[in-house]
Amino acid sequence: MLLNFDRLGAWKWILLGITGLTTAFLILPIIFIAALSFGSSQWLIFPPPSWTLKWYAAFFADPRWLEAAWTSLRIAAIVTVLSVLIGLVASFGLVRGRFIGKEALRALFLTPMILPVVVLAVALYAFFLRVGLNGTFTGFVIAHLVVALPFSILSITNALEGFDKSIEDAAVLCGASPLEAKLRITLPSISHGLFSAAVFSFLTSWDEVVLAIFMASPTLQTLPVKIWATLRQDLTPAIAAASTLLIIVTIALMLLTALVRKGLKS
Amino acid sequence: MTAPFLHIRGLRKDYGIVNAVKDVNLTVERGEFMTFLGPSGSGKSTTLYILAGFENPTAGDILLNGESLIATPSHKRNIGMVFQRYTLFPHLSVGENIAFPLKVRRWGKAAIDARVRKMLQLVRLEGFEDRKPAQMSGGQQQRVALARALAYDPPVLLMDEPLSALDKKLREEIQHEIRRIHQETEVTILYVTHDQEEALRLSDRIAVFSKGVIDQIGTGPELYADPATRFVAEFIGDSDFVTCRILSAKDGRADLSIGAGASISGVPVHGTAVAGGTAALMLRPERLSLRREAAREGTSGLSASVTDITFLGSSIHVAAAAPSGETISVRLPFGHEATSGLSRGDTVSLDFDPETAHVFCG
Amino acid sequence: MTLLTEPDNRTAAPRARSVRSRNFALTVPALVLLVVFFILPVVSLLLRSVMEPEPGLDNYRALLGSTTYLKIFLNTFSVSALVTIVTLAIGFPVAWALAIMPSRWASIVFAVLLLSMWTNLLTRTYAWMVLLQRTGVINKTLMGLGLISEPLPLVNNLVGVTIGMTYIMLPFIILPLYGVIRKIDPAILQAAALCGATRRQALTRILIPLAAPGMVSGALMVFVMSLGYFVTPALLGGTANMMLAELIAQFVQSLVNWGMGGAAALVLLIVTLTLYAVQLRLFGTARMEGR
Repeated sequence: MLLNFDRLGAWKWILLGITGLTTAFLILPIIFIAALSFGSSQWLIFPPPSWTLKWYAAFFADPRWLEAAWTSLRIAAIVTVLSVLIGLVASFGLVRGRFIGKEALRALFLTPMILPVVVLAVALYAFFLRVGLNGTFTGFVIAHLVVALPFSILSITNALEGFDKSIEDAAVLCGASPLEAKLRITLPSISHGLFSAAVFSFLTSWDEVVLAIFMASPTLQTLPVKIWATLRQDLTPAIAAASTLLIIVTIALMLLTALVRKGLKS
Repeated sequence: MTAPFLHIRGLRKDYGIVNAVKDVNLTVERGEFMTFLGPSGSGKSTTLYILAGFENPTAGDILLNGESLIATPSHKRNIGMVFQRYTLFPHLSVGENIAFPLKVRRWGKAAIDARVRKMLQLVRLEGFEDRKPAQMSGGQQQRVALARALAYDPPVLLMDEPLSALDKKLREEIQHEIRRIHQETEVTILYVTHDQEEALRLSDRIAVFSKGVIDQIGTGPELYADPATRFVAEFIGDSDFVTCRILSAKDGRADLSIGAGASISGVPVHGTAVAGGTAALMLRPERLSLRREAAREGTSGLSASVTDITFLGSSIHVAAAAPSGETISVRLPFGHEATSGLSRGDTVSLDFDPETAHVFCG
Repeated sequence: MTLLTEPDNRTAAPRARSVRSRNFALTVPALVLLVVFFILPVVSLLLRSVMEPEPGLDNYRALLGSTTYLKIFLNTFSVSALVTIVTLAIGFPVAWALAIMPSRWASIVFAVLLLSMWTNLLTRTYAWMVLLQRTGVINKTLMGLGLISEPLPLVNNLVGVTIGMTYIMLPFIILPLYGVIRKIDPAILQAAALCGATRRQALTRILIPLAAPGMVSGALMVFVMSLGYFVTPALLGGTANMMLAELIAQFVQSLVNWGMGGAAALVLLIVTLTLYAVQLRLFGTARMEGR
């Protein structure tokens, strides 16, 4: 009864109502920000008195915004590559390995995910101040790698556990060397896991705020840091424009993921 | 003297303190279909995996054409294998799956295409070239796996319970295919199964595995008619065991008595028979005849009392209790005269030819 | 290369050893990264809390002895609890509806959930700052409808933090709860109906108890995540209701007091890890902040 949609009676409409409102609650702020980024009002009046592209023009004309975006992109790209590579190798060790303390190690690899980011941020900040990595590109990459790696390991170990090792063994008996079998058979078979690992790693770094606030220097900041710094002064619509660009990147990645999933299925 | 085609010598495999394979010795002729039959944990699969190179033996050697395989890594052994689970490469089409071992061996494109077509023909899957494994049934997938394993003409094909995931009807169908393909290709096959019917249907010879050793090697009829151990007797065909007392033993034959009944002479004996000791007498349900009277002096029979009668279509199954209380089964054709009017509690005499019974000591 | 360790084809003798640590080497790069850039820094931060400015527990005495700080702890817990309750109250009916509604509609809701989850945290927080401000759309609308005559203070206070955090945490409770409800066999509820249970009884005696593990587990997760949140409280909350993460950042950034910062971090860490241990004990797996 309660789990049969058509036989819920009046309750059906209550549930649908709550769901509808919640969905609106979740989507409206995003739509709202996108709309305001095209509004002419400096004070973000809604509905806007007229429509304009001037905030985008301002965004693209300001080298500080562009530089921040470019820094974000470079960091996220490097973090993605490193996270997938290190995560792939570690996942092979965790899934295929036989050694004492394997489960403890797996738990350790995932802890950066559950630890409050602010603790890690403060700790790394102190550490980087001592070793001279603070405010450096390398420091940024390392900090983001620490929080991105668990997502990568989680996705890839999942995929690898779902892959029957006999298939790789079959390739080896067919005459492929163990390395060749892994490259030609195993990796393509777990490509969905590698892809998720890459997307999660990229987004983790690209969107990361807290670590970035501590790692940043006046000359090196990511897009979220720039937004953060600007936000603390005022709510200028330039942020709406930057946010909309971020949303577009997110939607593009979501669509890409959906497409790749579909492609992998067929 | 020429070396045997495949020679497994003193093979042993320990996992820590667990002794998975104790001492396996075996020779296989070229073109032979040899089945490793045994329950799980008997060491048959481990032996196969050592042959494939996925496990290293603790001791012993494997010789192919007189040369040791042990030091050769799996991918250079040039052995074919069909696995228990479906192991087609999921991202490659059927054609690409079969082509894979050939590509690895750097064959030319034309040669690969021709071979792929030939293999598809061999397993009767022409036209399936572009299918993905996920679009095929389990039986079809295993046939492709067979084609892939045979594509590079391996001298030996290993099959590790390849049909265990299929239902009974499909299994029989593919057993026929495997037999046909074995005859057509004349490849040497080592086949692992725990299903005696499958072993009997497919094999030239069967090696019965038990607790890490081979109990007996022989053709199906040999194993049935002349089991070397009680385990083989139990595993191949149906059998019941009755406790008996050895009266005397000589030249592999024993005279024995069952309970207070008459003595039976000339029963083939296995193990060390000691006069006066007890042993287990094996009786096959289909080799017993049943008479509705107590056993007479001078016949190889024993008296028993009927406990159950079951109609099984073409046959009738009679369960009877020996004086010792042990149950003995008799299988009679439907309509056999001795069964008409037979009822529970009747005393019957179960007769058998001493040659078809076996007694196991120790 | 060890990446591809197969059962190695060497002789029997050294195998026992090599089996014991097979493939361990593969995890070394990740392990080194985490030890050097995660464990060491965190441990050394915690050490500083008992070493600076002088060895001893002075920092903890100061932290736990001051009403200012205790108020911040209390505030952190009550905000997290409030967010958890609101999220659960909204999340349960939504997850329930998602589990049974026609899949075409459900996929729209899922797309929105994912989009919201994947959208930059700052973007989402910024949106709420704009929406909730004195001259923002919400106040304008309410005034336009004649419901209020003065703009309500919706931002830089508890209301703002709760709305912003609830917005962020909702997907984290809806998605796992959806999974739990989805697994309940509808036949169980049919059986309840045949036994004579009314809808309300079926809900309170069957459906909610069956979904309870998912609710507790999801609630624990939301609570723990809320405890350590920094960005949203910092931007939507006021100075009157500062949370623990902000306090840690403030100690380090503005006050350069590493000892107190480390002590506050340890408090947060202990609470977080304890609750995760509870979660692990109760449910076997820690559902982590999966996007």
